[in-house]
Amino acid sequence: MFAIAAGLLVATPLAAQRGRGQAPAIPPRAAAPVDLTGYWISVVTEDWRWRMVTPAKGDYDSVPLNAAARRVADSWDPKQDDAAGESCRSYGAPAVMRVPGRIHITWDNDTTLHIDTEAGTQTRILRFGPPSQSSSSADATWQGQSIAQWETGGRGGGMFGVAQAKPSGALKVVTARLRPGYLRKNGVPYSANATVTEYFNALPREENGDTWLVVTTVVTDPQFLNGRFITSSHFKKLPDGNAWHPTPCRSS
Amino acid sequence: MHRLKIGALVALAAALTILLVASPSALQSPPPSASLVEYNDEVARTAAAGIDFTGEWAPRFHEDEPERVPGPELGDYLGIPINDAARMRATTWEASIQTLPEWQCRPHSADYIWRGPSPLRVWKEVDPVSRQVIAWHAEWLRSVDRQIYMDGRPHPSPNAPHTWAGFSTGRWDGDVLTVKTTHLKEGYVRRNGLPRSDQATLTEHWMRHGDILTVAAIVTDPVYLTEPFIRTTDYELDLHQWVPPYPCQVVEEVDRPAGRVPHSLPDTNTAITDFAKRCGIPVEATRGGADTMYPDFRLKLGDITSKCIAAQR
Repeated sequence: MFAIAAGLLVATPLAAQRGRGQAPAIPPRAAAPVDLTGYWISVVTEDWRWRMVTPAKGDYDSVPLNAAARRVADSWDPKQDDAAGESCRSYGAPAVMRVPGRIHITWDNDTTLHIDTEAGTQTRILRFGPPSQSSSSADATWQGQSIAQWETGGRGGGMFGVAQAKPSGALKVVTARLRPGYLRKNGVPYSANATVTEYFNALPREENGDTWLVVTTVVTDPQFLNGRFITSSHFKKLPDGNAWHPTPCRSS
Repeated sequence: MHRLKIGALVALAAALTILLVASPSALQSPPPSASLVEYNDEVARTAAAGIDFTGEWAPRFHEDEPERVPGPELGDYLGIPINDAARMRATTWEASIQTLPEWQCRPHSADYIWRGPSPLRVWKEVDPVSRQVIAWHAEWLRSVDRQIYMDGRPHPSPNAPHTWAGFSTGRWDGDVLTVKTTHLKEGYVRRNGLPRSDQATLTEHWMRHGDILTVAAIVTDPVYLTEPFIRTTDYELDLHQWVPPYPCQVVEEVDRPAGRVPHSLPDTNTAITDFAKRCGIPVEATRGGADTMYPDFRLKLGDITSKCIAAQR
């Protein structure tokens, strides 16, 4: 038995050995396991009637709303939103990746990803590293504050030791400090207490040359949702930004 | 000292034995120049590829709930890249075809089942010696046991039988499991008569993020689609779920003459446009096609507010 155990120890993987030391920090841009940058276009094969046209007031099928949220949705008044300067309510971080249009992803620097959207001409800033210390509700914006990190694989364990965690391919983004807005254009609400967790997966190139980006979006909102609201939106990569045409927010 | 040397030799011999027994790939390809440690590192890396999808997964209908649970409406082909042949099949389809004995116990095919109203169970088949995953299995309430082979076997001849699950092989791209499926029986891309041919192929990408499973399913069909048709579907891990049995018994649901297959003749089913009228969406849009799945199609639509609400269903 001792011999077997000793044999296994002799054969300990290099990865496990590396895990015992501290690897030098690699900037998130250099550590990126996939390339998310470029122009992407949403392909609307799901939820068409809620995304491609303005849904009817009261049409909140599929969203796990509570009674308070339904009351808010049932009182939706786009003209009132326009008058209040709130036309961008359906373009906040919990919803904007679901709004049909192109997006453009770039690196601002080694630790910051930048997403521009055609729809509503919105800008999302995804920062790697700890959140800023400011916590004033006055900081709330449509796109909130987003903290990014590359997801890492497992580290193993047991008698083979612990390996160094490596990026596994997806970008995780957690967003808070949101200005209250709409999950859908027809006034389905989320509150300032909502948080958004997203997973960006750039998929391997398909045989026909297509490359897809899938964004899984998980919205939690103790004020308006009975549970997590989970959607996944898909985008096809574009060769360039020739068709890029940002449009302003519209309340209806 | 002598005992220590013997112990070290025994340990080395044991390690070599374990490696050779534990990994079929060890028999195939230890490069002659690789050290034992390098070789074992490679075996461990390969064995640890990917992520574990094992578990009970509950579907979340936060997308297209009206289509996926109660069922789609007749004539709603919005956002699906169908061609005229598919449109013809769909507009001559009648729902009562599903009362035919041949249809009653028909399971959803591998491409559609992700959108069906069924819980999912995933488990892995592990080689008892090498402990490598040689296949993933997926089973829903209304499906057959679907195998996804991970052992590098080739797909069968084009003349091999087609099945509801098709023939699937998988490979890892980081933590994404990419699955290729061929040999599907004819099925449907939506449960309102939109067909999918037996020449179609399916590419899936399985992505797990903690307790959330997202699967992108891309159907390519040279017979009925003009572009690949992608849908992404989400499940949540549910430790208390159990996929129940789903026995199906064929019964005589409708008294009809033998051999009659419910259908409409082309251009005779006036109910096809009811959905467009009810929802206030142009009939041309509801007829689907690749244009309707791209954002710029809204320029053709103009400013439209739908009239669809759940209460009217």
